[in-house]
Amino acid sequence: VSLIPGLGLAKGMALTLRRFFEPKVTVMYPEDRRDPPHKFRGRLQLLYDEWGTLKCETCFQCAQACPIECIDMGGMDTRGRYHVHWGAPETYGERREESALRRSGRTVPDPAYLPFASIDLARVDSILEEFDHDPARLLPILEATQAAYGYLPIAALKQISNRTGAWYAMIYGTASYYAHLRFEPPSATIQAAAIEAHRPSEATYRSALEASLAGGPGPSSPAGAPN
Amino acid sequence: LTLPGKVIFTAIPILVALSAGLVVVIVLFGAPILHLLVANLPIVRFVLAATIILLMTIPTAFLIIYMEMKVIALINLRIGPDRVGPFGSLLSVVHGLKVLMKEDFTPTGADPLVFTWAPVVTYLASVMTLLVIPFAPGLYGQDFNIGLLYFFAVGGLSVVGLLMAGWSSYNKYSLLGGLRSAAQVISYEIPLTLSVVGLILLAGTMSLNQIVLNQSGWFTDWYVFQQPLGVLIFFIAATAEANRTPFDLTEADSEIVAGFATEYSGMRFGFFFFAEYVNVFIISALTVTLFFGGWNAPFPWPWPITLSLDPGGLGIGLLLLVAIVPLVLTIVFAVPFWIASSRIKTWQALLGGFVLANLFLGALVFAGIYIGLDWVAGVLWFMGKTYAFVFTFVWMRGTLPRVRIDQLMDFAWKWLLPASLLNLFVTAAAIVVVHK
Repeated sequence: VSLIPGLGLAKGMALTLRRFFEPKVTVMYPEDRRDPPHKFRGRLQLLYDEWGTLKCETCFQCAQACPIECIDMGGMDTRGRYHVHWGAPETYGERREESALRRSGRTVPDPAYLPFASIDLARVDSILEEFDHDPARLLPILEATQAAYGYLPIAALKQISNRTGAWYAMIYGTASYYAHLRFEPPSATIQAAAIEAHRPSEATYRSALEASLAGGPGPSSPAGAPN
Repeated sequence: LTLPGKVIFTAIPILVALSAGLVVVIVLFGAPILHLLVANLPIVRFVLAATIILLMTIPTAFLIIYMEMKVIALINLRIGPDRVGPFGSLLSVVHGLKVLMKEDFTPTGADPLVFTWAPVVTYLASVMTLLVIPFAPGLYGQDFNIGLLYFFAVGGLSVVGLLMAGWSSYNKYSLLGGLRSAAQVISYEIPLTLSVVGLILLAGTMSLNQIVLNQSGWFTDWYVFQQPLGVLIFFIAATAEANRTPFDLTEADSEIVAGFATEYSGMRFGFFFFAEYVNVFIISALTVTLFFGGWNAPFPWPWPITLSLDPGGLGIGLLLLVAIVPLVLTIVFAVPFWIASSRIKTWQALLGGFVLANLFLGALVFAGIYIGLDWVAGVLWFMGKTYAFVFTFVWMRGTLPRVRIDQLMDFAWKWLLPASLLNLFVTAAAIVVVHK
């Protein structure tokens, strides 16, 4: 059908003729002043508080609320750890080269996420299955994830983003907004791990001590222990 | 004095003096002048026709410019001009006044004579072609027996104007633009002319008036049904000839400055654009004349109507009729309103009746004029068809993208020229077969 010469011309002419009779979209501005859109908040500006600190907490709520998606925020988060961005990666100003890589079909290294170790994602997947992969139920999903891992690993957040289709920035924004959600293991666990790393034989001491206090036979001279 | 006061106090004495002089001249030399005019009636007719046609092009151009602005705006889902005049219809007049008031600038190094005459040549080449177009039965400038040839010959002169403009501007871009438009117009001249040769074979004449007369009767007698390929080639080539989208490379507004018109300003620039819009009207008119029956109605009136009105024969009854008929008609047309609903007050019913009666009388008068004066009917049909084509040109401008220069040339030489030759040969063969 597309080989008929002039068919495209006829289609185009028909389209413009239809447009000719359609209602017009012009706003007669000086006479007709329309109300601004529902979520219009005036000029975009980042505000500072009385101590000179930026008030923006990188919660992305402004970007979420923007009806025409003109707000694109990104960069490091407030604690200087994670790259987060609202919107599709192709729109990031500082990631043009990456987007070129992506368009050419090559894998894109993402150094911002390299330090974060991969985790066993099976638990995230089962949680998502339970919540039907529904990004509208993001808060319960995040709470369940935190219950499963003890905190919110970045790899888990990325997995949620991949599986639900919600933008990572939205998930990050939600996760960083609520005080009871955390991005790192709780401090008791961290302390235990730090002590373990600093004094690796303490557990051995303790078990030996407990064994001797209990009266049973314990190891007489723990290996590596100072005299 | 205020501004109107200045105008009135200057104009009234001048008018009075002129009228007095005119009266004196008519009284003293009226008879010899009349005799001279009557003795040279063909010349007088020609001068009058030329003047009328020259004057007619200006409102035509204004109308088409307004149509272009408004139609393209509506196609773009905009409203378009709506401030000056009813529905913005005076905006093109304002544009015309604006170019009149702008500085008329001649660049250093330009050839002033050629530079000044280029727009005139372009404009007159367009306007002079209108002389042979029959607007209605008996309403044409001149009925040449080589009218079509004259049309193409004089229409081809516009290339000279474009080349003059490009050459005399002392600007290499203008020169390039002029040469490019000359190349385009001359290339499309060939399929344009060849596409109507088949029609000339069919009609047996080049007189446009005779060609229109040949197509009288039902609309199936129009040449479009005998020359479908010819119409197509003619329409495409005429689009290129008039520098209209999609072939408006001559002054591709969005890509190059203005081609040959780069150095022009003020009314000289305006003349080029007037010529462009007059060209649109002319090629639409020629398409209608050649292929769509000219001023012929698409169907002949099935039964003959002869109006034998003699209002004077009624005597004093005519006065009574003039006095009574509007009243009676108003009341007659008010009755249905009055019957229709009891909520309609008497004065409202009478008002509605008055409006309807006026419409009815207006329709009667219009029908009488349409039937009684065949040139009114002719002009109405001709203008209706012509403006349908003008609308098509504007519609195309609102739709189609511009072609590239190589595509343009390829299309003219590799497609339109062979197609027009094919059309010519097939038509000739068909005529030979039918006449044997």
